[in-house]
Parts: sequence; C-alpha cells; structure tokens
Amino acid sequence: MWRTRLHLLHMLTGILIAVLLGIHMVIQHLDAVLRFFGATTTDPTSWGSMIARASQGIWVALYIALLAFLLYHALYGLRGVILEVTTSVKLERIITWSFIIIGIIVFIWGAYVPVVLLSS
Amino acid sequence: MKQIRPRQNYLGAGGWVWAGNYKLERYLYILHRVTGLGMLFFVIFHLIETTFFRIQGQDVWEATMALLQNPWFEVGIYLVAVAFVYHALNGLRLILQEFGFFLGKPTPPIYPYKDALRKKRPWTLAMVAVIVILALVFLLNFII
Amino acid sequence: MAEGSPKQVTFKVQRYDPEDGSAPHFQEFTVPSSRGMTVLDGLLYIKENLDGTLAFRTSCRMGICGSCGMLINNYPHLACHTQIEEFNSNTLTIKSLPNMPIIKDLVADLTPMFDNHKLVKPYIIRQDTEETENPTAEFGQLPQELNAFLQFTYCIKCGICVSACPTSASDKLFLGPQALAQCYRYCADSRDDGQQERFSVVDADHGVWRCHLAGACSEACPKGLDPALAIQLLKRRLATQALGLRKKQPPSSVVSPPTETKPKVPFPEFTVKGGK
Repeated sequence: MWRTRLHLLHMLTGILIAVLLGIHMVIQHLDAVLRFFGATTTDPTSWGSMIARASQGIWVALYIALLAFLLYHALYGLRGVILEVTTSVKLERIITWSFIIIGIIVFIWGAYVPVVLLSS
Repeated sequence: MKQIRPRQNYLGAGGWVWAGNYKLERYLYILHRVTGLGMLFFVIFHLIETTFFRIQGQDVWEATMALLQNPWFEVGIYLVAVAFVYHALNGLRLILQEFGFFLGKPTPPIYPYKDALRKKRPWTLAMVAVIVILALVFLLNFII
Repeated sequence: MAEGSPKQVTFKVQRYDPEDGSAPHFQEFTVPSSRGMTVLDGLLYIKENLDGTLAFRTSCRMGICGSCGMLINNYPHLACHTQIEEFNSNTLTIKSLPNMPIIKDLVADLTPMFDNHKLVKPYIIRQDTEETENPTAEFGQLPQELNAFLQFTYCIKCGICVSACPTSASDKLFLGPQALAQCYRYCADSRDDGQQERFSVVDADHGVWRCHLAGACSEACPKGLDPALAIQLLKRRLATQALGLRKKQPPSSVVSPPTETKPKVPFPEFTVKGGK
C-alpha cells in the first residue's frame, strides 16, 4: 500500500504547491498588474524588497514549506517518468534511493540559507 | 519447426507525443509532462540563484538581476509562469478525475459510445479557457 | 440495387516476413471497394485474388471476437468494424497493432497482454471455496450491483486499448488498460472477495499509478467499454483503502432456490366462441 500512499502525498503536495507557488507567482510576476489596480508594491526582485521578505518569519516559513513540497512532488514525478522507460529493477532501486538522498541534501541546503538570512 | 521470435513493435517514448489522431485529453497529458519537466529544469537554476548568489551579498545579487534583464530570460520566465498555470489547473482536474469524481457512473454501452472523459469534455474545455485567460493576464504584466 | 461502379482504393499494407529478417515494409494493392465494404472485406479480397501470402487474423467478421485489431490510417480499429468509405480517402495504410510484437504481416502477438491479464487474477475469488467448487445454489446479486461493473464485462480482448495507451508505448512492464480494467471488473463484482490479493498486484511500480488519464484507451475501444473509467475507479478503491476509509463489505451470499412455486393461473377463456 505504500505506493498508493506516496501517490496520495504527491497529489496533496500538488494542491499545497498550487496555493503557495500561486502566492509566489502573484507577487513576483503580477506586480505591474497589481500596481495598475492600485496596490502599492515595489519591484519584487530588488535587493530591498527581497531583504524585507527575508526578515519576516512568515515569508521564510512559506519558502521553506514550498521547497519541501516542491522537492517531493518533483522528484516523485521524475521518478515516475524514469520508471516508464526502464525495465531493470536494479536501476529503479538506484534511482529511488538517489532521489531520496538528493532531495534531503537539497532541502537542508535550501532551508539553511533563508534561516541564516532571517537571523542576520 | 523453427521457432519464430516476434519482432518488437513498441512506439517508445515517441509514443507519448504522437501515436495517431487522438483527442484532447491525450495531448493535455503530454503537455502536463512537458510543463512539469520544464519547471523542474527551471527550479534547479532558481535554487542556485536564490541560495548561492543570494547569500553572497547585495553586489552579487544585483549583478545577477542585471544579467537576467536580458529579453530572452524574460521570455523564459513568462513561459515558466504559463507552465505553472497550466500544470496547476490541469493537475487539479487530474486529481478530481483520477479518483473518479465527477466522471459519472458506469453505464451499459449503447452505440454511439460516449466514454466518461468525453461526456465531461465541456468542463475540460472550460479549464483550458481559464488557462488561456490567466496566460494573457501574465502576458499583460510583462507588457505593462 | 445499383451500387455504381466500385471505387479503386489503394491498400498500403505492412508486410513483415519473420524468416526473412528484413525490416517491415509496405506493399500496395488496388482493391475495388463499394459502399458497405469493410476493411476486412478488402483484405480478404487481397488474400483471395492478389496475394495469398498476406497474413492477418479474422474470425467472426462482426466485431465480437476481437481478432482483427489493426492500425488503419494511424488509428487502431477492428478491421471488420470499419467501413472503407468512412475514411473518405483513396489510400488506406494498414499496419499491425503497435506496442505488441509482430509475428507476421498484420498478425500481432497478444501473449504479453494475456499474461498481464492472468496476473490480475480475473476470476471470482471467495473465502468459501467449498461453495465455489461444489455449488449448491446461486449467489444473489441485485440489478444495481450488476450495473456497477456491467459495462466492463464486455471486453473482447482485442488489444486496441493497449495500442492506444501512451504508457504502454514505452513501459514494457506496464499492466496495460485491459488488465487494469478487468481487475476493477472483478473487484467491483459483489460476488467477489479477492480485492486484497489483486491490490498487491496492481499497487506496484508498473501498476495502476503509471496511468495518467490520457483517455486514449477509452476513446479507441471498439466496444464502448471505457477502461479509463474503470482504472480511475480502481484508483479510488486503492486510495480509500490506503486512507483507511474503506468499509469492508461481505461478498454476496448464496440465495437458495425458491421452494414454493407460484400458484397456477387459470386458463383464460376462449375469445372465439363455438367449436371445442
């Protein structure tokens, strides 16, 4: 049953990413449209705006959560695509374990940076 | 009698993209896969940018931002935004339909056969319309 | 009935000789086709009059045996079920079903599909083996319970859905829409109690979760079976089981035959009076 649970987690993270990444897309790529409608926003890619977000706990939490969900969803999806082209069971096991390790390493590094910037 | 070995006849990964004159949902599937892999490719570079380059301070950050003002990168970012909109909305449709919600009950087949996905195609087309509208909104942001 | 002069249609048929070792190639034949002629009629004309070495499967010629699945103009059809006129074209390209090995010419090897079908245990499994081996009476099933899986019982094992599936195109170990739909047909049967055994087969690396709802199988199915719907309903069963929401339902029990016969209805009066 664990494969079913992994797939259900894939779908749950998909929904959560749709929400969190949606917020990220709106502030990053719809800022001109929002300014047109009267919201006061600064350029989100500027250093000042970025530091302002990096010093607020809620944004840091959002980014770390987004990273975790994204890594699981993307690596499970990529594993599915690779499983559909290989037939060797040994290669499938190697791929699964190396994705788990890559995912953990990238998450630790990706979460470390905003925490460092938050506390500085 | 000589044993005949049948000849392999798989379409391979090319069969994901084109295998005949199929209808909408098959192409929504391949586009879902393409947008997913495209976004993954982008996320690798984005993670490098927001970790390695960000932690080195303001000068490196602003130099990177200046480099990314190139119009080709702007087009790339727009494609990633559209890919996200498509993948998210199509993914929500897949989550609902993959568990059989809104697909209706099994009915005895009476000619001409209408399968469940075809019966719900108006909703799928409505989803495509929403995707197109959102893609235009994002395009507006790049133009303004 | 005047049908007009028959139209000359070119059949580009894929030829492959396993003893030759060369790659499959096309051979063209000209077939006089008239209204109402199916592609199978055209192939039989070729075999009878033009080239007797053309190999293809055919049996019932009425769309119920599932032998004559072929790729006609890049879409899988049953040859007996497809009119030449419906293509509105003077050329028909006929190839063997993709995603299945070719034995010769248009004959595809359906054994991988049958093997996958057997893996899924396509028979009623119950705990009370004594009753199944030596039946005393029937298992009761309501019409509503029958309708929940009746659509998926019409499978003729033609292999067209497997040819249409994009996952089957690249994944040789994928069970295929036919096996997965038949797995649901037996899990949804109220007489069956073997769901757990079948779940361990389909909840695998190359099982039901490699289906991505492309819907090509249902679109191409010549009997209107909708294997895509069956597979998604199977996924729903697996998901509710994994989340612990599944209520265990006992399978249908034995219904003993009625002991009382209905009272005899009196013979109706003769409507034509007179005579005996």
